[in-house]
Amino acid sequence: MENQEKEFRLNVTRRHFLTSAGLGIGSAALGTMLFKDQLFGSDQQSAIPLGLAQFAPKAKRIIYLFQNGAPSQLETFDYKPLLNKMHGEELPASIRKGQRLTGMTANQEKFPLVGSSFGFSQHGQSGAWVSELFPNMASVVDDLCIIKTMNTEAINHDPALTFFQTGAQQGNRPSMGAWMSYGLGSENANLPSYTVLLSRGRGNGQGVYSKLWTNGFLDSLHQGVVFSSGEDPVLYLNNPEGHDRQSRRDMLDQLAQFNAEAFENVGDPEINARIQQYEMSYRMQSAVPELTDLSKESDNTIKLYGPDCLVPGTYAANCLLARKLSESGVRFVQLYHQGWDTHGNLANDMRMQAEDVDRASAGLIKDLKQRGLLDETLVIWGGEFGRTNYCQGKIDPVNYGRDHHPKCFSIWMAGGGVKPGIVYGETDEFGYNIVKDPVSVHDFHATVLNLMGINHEQLTYRHLGRRYRLTDIAGEVVNGIIA
Amino acid sequence: MSKHFRFVSNSIIVLQVFMLIFAFADLSQLPAWMLFTGKFHPLVLHLPVTLVLCLIPLSFFAIKQNEYSILHTILRYVILYTTLFTTLAAIFGLLLAAESEYAKDTLQWHKWLGVSLALVTHFLLYANQWILSHKTAGQIALISTAGIMLAGSHLGGSLTHGEDFFSLNIAETATGSFPEITDSTHVFEGAIEPVIAAKCASCHNDQKMKGGLNMVSFASLAKGGKTGPTWVSGDPDMSLLTERLALDPEDKKHMPPKGKAQLTATEILLFREWIKAGATANTRVGELKETDTLKALVYQVAEAGKKPKSDKSYTFSAASSATIASLNTPFRRILPLAYQSPALSVKFFLKEQFNPEMLKECSSIKEQVVEVNLSGMPADDELLKSLSQFPNLEKLNLNGTSISGKNLNVLTACKQLEQISLASTALKIDALKALAVIPSLKKVFLWNTQVTEKDIASLTSQYPGIKWDMGYIPDKNELLKLTPPYPANRDKAILEQGEVIFLKHPLPGVKIRYTLDGSVPDTSAGTIFETAIPMKGLLRIRAVATASGWISSNVSEQTFFMKGIKTDSVKLINEPDPKYRKFGAKALTDEIKGEAGNFGMNWLGFKDLPFKAGFYTSTSKMISQVVLSLADNTGSYIFPPTQIIIKAGDNPSQMQVVGKLKPEMPGENRSNAVIPYTVLITPGNYRYIEIEAVNIQKLPGWHRGKGEKGWVFVDEVFFY
Repeated sequence: MENQEKEFRLNVTRRHFLTSAGLGIGSAALGTMLFKDQLFGSDQQSAIPLGLAQFAPKAKRIIYLFQNGAPSQLETFDYKPLLNKMHGEELPASIRKGQRLTGMTANQEKFPLVGSSFGFSQHGQSGAWVSELFPNMASVVDDLCIIKTMNTEAINHDPALTFFQTGAQQGNRPSMGAWMSYGLGSENANLPSYTVLLSRGRGNGQGVYSKLWTNGFLDSLHQGVVFSSGEDPVLYLNNPEGHDRQSRRDMLDQLAQFNAEAFENVGDPEINARIQQYEMSYRMQSAVPELTDLSKESDNTIKLYGPDCLVPGTYAANCLLARKLSESGVRFVQLYHQGWDTHGNLANDMRMQAEDVDRASAGLIKDLKQRGLLDETLVIWGGEFGRTNYCQGKIDPVNYGRDHHPKCFSIWMAGGGVKPGIVYGETDEFGYNIVKDPVSVHDFHATVLNLMGINHEQLTYRHLGRRYRLTDIAGEVVNGIIA
Repeated sequence: MSKHFRFVSNSIIVLQVFMLIFAFADLSQLPAWMLFTGKFHPLVLHLPVTLVLCLIPLSFFAIKQNEYSILHTILRYVILYTTLFTTLAAIFGLLLAAESEYAKDTLQWHKWLGVSLALVTHFLLYANQWILSHKTAGQIALISTAGIMLAGSHLGGSLTHGEDFFSLNIAETATGSFPEITDSTHVFEGAIEPVIAAKCASCHNDQKMKGGLNMVSFASLAKGGKTGPTWVSGDPDMSLLTERLALDPEDKKHMPPKGKAQLTATEILLFREWIKAGATANTRVGELKETDTLKALVYQVAEAGKKPKSDKSYTFSAASSATIASLNTPFRRILPLAYQSPALSVKFFLKEQFNPEMLKECSSIKEQVVEVNLSGMPADDELLKSLSQFPNLEKLNLNGTSISGKNLNVLTACKQLEQISLASTALKIDALKALAVIPSLKKVFLWNTQVTEKDIASLTSQYPGIKWDMGYIPDKNELLKLTPPYPANRDKAILEQGEVIFLKHPLPGVKIRYTLDGSVPDTSAGTIFETAIPMKGLLRIRAVATASGWISSNVSEQTFFMKGIKTDSVKLINEPDPKYRKFGAKALTDEIKGEAGNFGMNWLGFKDLPFKAGFYTSTSKMISQVVLSLADNTGSYIFPPTQIIIKAGDNPSQMQVVGKLKPEMPGENRSNAVIPYTVLITPGNYRYIEIEAVNIQKLPGWHRGKGEKGWVFVDEVFFY
């Protein structure tokens, strides 16, 4: 007995280890046979069928009105009278809690709180507070779901914008619209399922780059197609002089044949993507002119979006075009409107920016609603982060500036299965920290995918040996805003 | 014995590997029999609970013995079996979890605590000698193990018995389900019984009967309990049931007891009204008068008690995917509402490709179609007839079609129709009354039709169950500002002599007024634009758009340059800043204008050195004027040059100053413009001309960059 016990303990040696390890590896091999593809990956790209909503979607299409440069939450929807009361006083350390600041204000000696120079009032049945700069948005406030507790990880424009659009700050991942196109496919085969419209505001601007609408590692079919802001939204759409439609058709058929042969030989899936893109462009030759002809818009439509909507390249024109594209089955229409980066001269810039976007944003909501489309179209309005409650630089009696603030900011959503007429989340009296119901960017993505009928954890793509998703390894659906 | 020990410990290794795989994999794809074994989880799990607790006293006594004592051996075996059963319990648990729906958070914690416990006990198995030789540390290790076990099993308990199982406050959640209320529903079955089932029956049922009261059926409820009959028909004030409900919640006799789910005020009111009305089992909702409070309460309680509406389920069978595929074209898209949903939506694209047959052909999927979208298609009254073939149609979009409303009554065949969009059609009110009889109809969209506001009011009063949506009506008192006019060819700012300029405005009926002398045009000043403006010299056009019912636009200003004398070549004497030199020297004479604000293109920017360039020409013409097109954007530190010096001669070594200009400096107002500067020079037939424009060396005091150097941006140079 004693010897046996000794022997047993002696057996916990290299030999024992190797035996046990062999046992372990053997059983691991056996175990994984039960789950063919799961543990060491499969050839299957996605856990769910592609091209269709996984469960009944609340929204079929998205129009994302991105306010590039980050509009201040304190001059839009997050009313903080305390800041006016404490105007000029120092930001308490108990509120800032050592928060990292950007290089633009980190060296400031003082952080004087600054109240909004614009009045606020309550609107609609929901009684939501809206700044006087946005009278038209205020008139549709009962259709809006205002989220006051968005927060992000990034503190500078480019990473923040990239994070919002792709779920990662680095800029090598597919954009939201590309994921949507990948997961849900196209409704209208005659138009790209993801289009991008750009406009420049009059305030201090920040750039936009094509990485924001990239397909990343997804098929290039899912890349956002930028419409030009000139009079011809899609360039080179007409056949060259001397070519009729039939000769174009013949050329494409011949080209497709060559491409198909190339695919046989090389096997690069991008060749097939290219064939499909040519086919779609051919059909776009008919589909696009139908959409971009503004000459038949009624007077009421022009008044709804504002007279700018007839001037190509303006935010209002893009809103009108977005409605038409969306109505024609474009899954994801992404607008970027620049000019919200109000580090200084906020009082003037904010007014000009608001003038440019207020009427058209509200007009879009009204227009979708009166066509019976708002319940299946999700409209999102907002920037990449918020702005500080303290002044950047010195407070001037008539002007001030606000630096970047990632810890809380306001966006709104409307239509497509979100609760109308609610304000979600609470920030503290200083408009600096979140008190209740924070919504992270990943949560936002998870919720948007959910509204579109996709479980964000299951829309995946295998790349570089692992599966990726828009929300990567985070994100919780915000059920509180879903109708 | 050693063989036995080794066999079990080896089995544990195998099982633990399986356990780890199960913990990470999606188990739902396992065969059913395997998932079934998960049911053994409750059987096995109680063994490790006891065994882990045994370890503590056992090791306490074993420490005092030597390592060959019987207690040590027992301890080893107890650890061995603890590990085995913990591992088995974890495996079964993982299988069970795959099959059932539990609260997600709790389940996650329970899962990982269970798996950790198995791993920790396995570790103990190898470390038993260490535990016994380290008195305090060993005990701590065992107590921590017990801690993990207790935490894990507490969560397990919460999963099976509910979150609040382990608390003194015993509350229960409502489980009653409310049926759809119609006229034939009994008041008792429709509202009273579900409330009882949710909030009373857990203690007053066939098995429990607290206070001798069984509330499960009407008969047993009417019988009452030990205290007496449940109610006095017609008198809620004297009834035991309503009395108990109304008592102070702190009162011992208050029902439901403290800590349990309480009735809402509406529910209590419902019970009172029901007793007042006689407390019968057979009264139907339809028998009550429209004004009866009881009736309203029945609806209210039933509505409030309803669970949130889940996804709609359809009873019809799915169409074959082959049928759907055969109907799908780029111009007619048929999509299921979601994966594995039998319901289909049909949407048409490209009006030039549309023909009425395309809708008729959908007859093979007529059962399944719930949405039809013909928006913008040339669909006419005749086509409406083929819409009646879809019995399950719920949503119809006819926006922008050419229907007149004549055949809308065929849609009464669509008994499920909930929403119809008729915006931007020639529809009149008469056609709508035919629609109103569809019982399921909820929303009708009528923006931009012949239907007037008055019509909407009368429709709404006549058919209040339907939302008649008129959409946006412009406010007559609200005046909007026009956008400024612009030249027809906006990109062309450099013209030949004799070319003409057209001014344009996108809104039809707008009047454009313009000036060429720098004065400000308005509704009365300036020339009305009717005929093209001929190009001559340097032309600065200021224009304004006016129209009745609109506020006049801002004044737009556009500068046109005439094509100058061609130069042979140009060289930059001073290099521009590397960031702003995209097209190099040729940008100066390429006849492409730079855009205000877009400094990355067509512009040359100078800061460290002034702008200085030399131009060679072989023209025989006399040159008497040089025009520089420069940017002005003080916000971006771009200022006019402090001075422009022009030298000319036959070659670079034989030059003299022929012209100079000191531009005016801007004030504090922010600007963003392209400004031409004309320098008159001594006329001559020059071969070589050198231009220098000196950037501002010290920005003025009002500027935020005061004292710093400013920029000069040049995009084009003209010689006349």
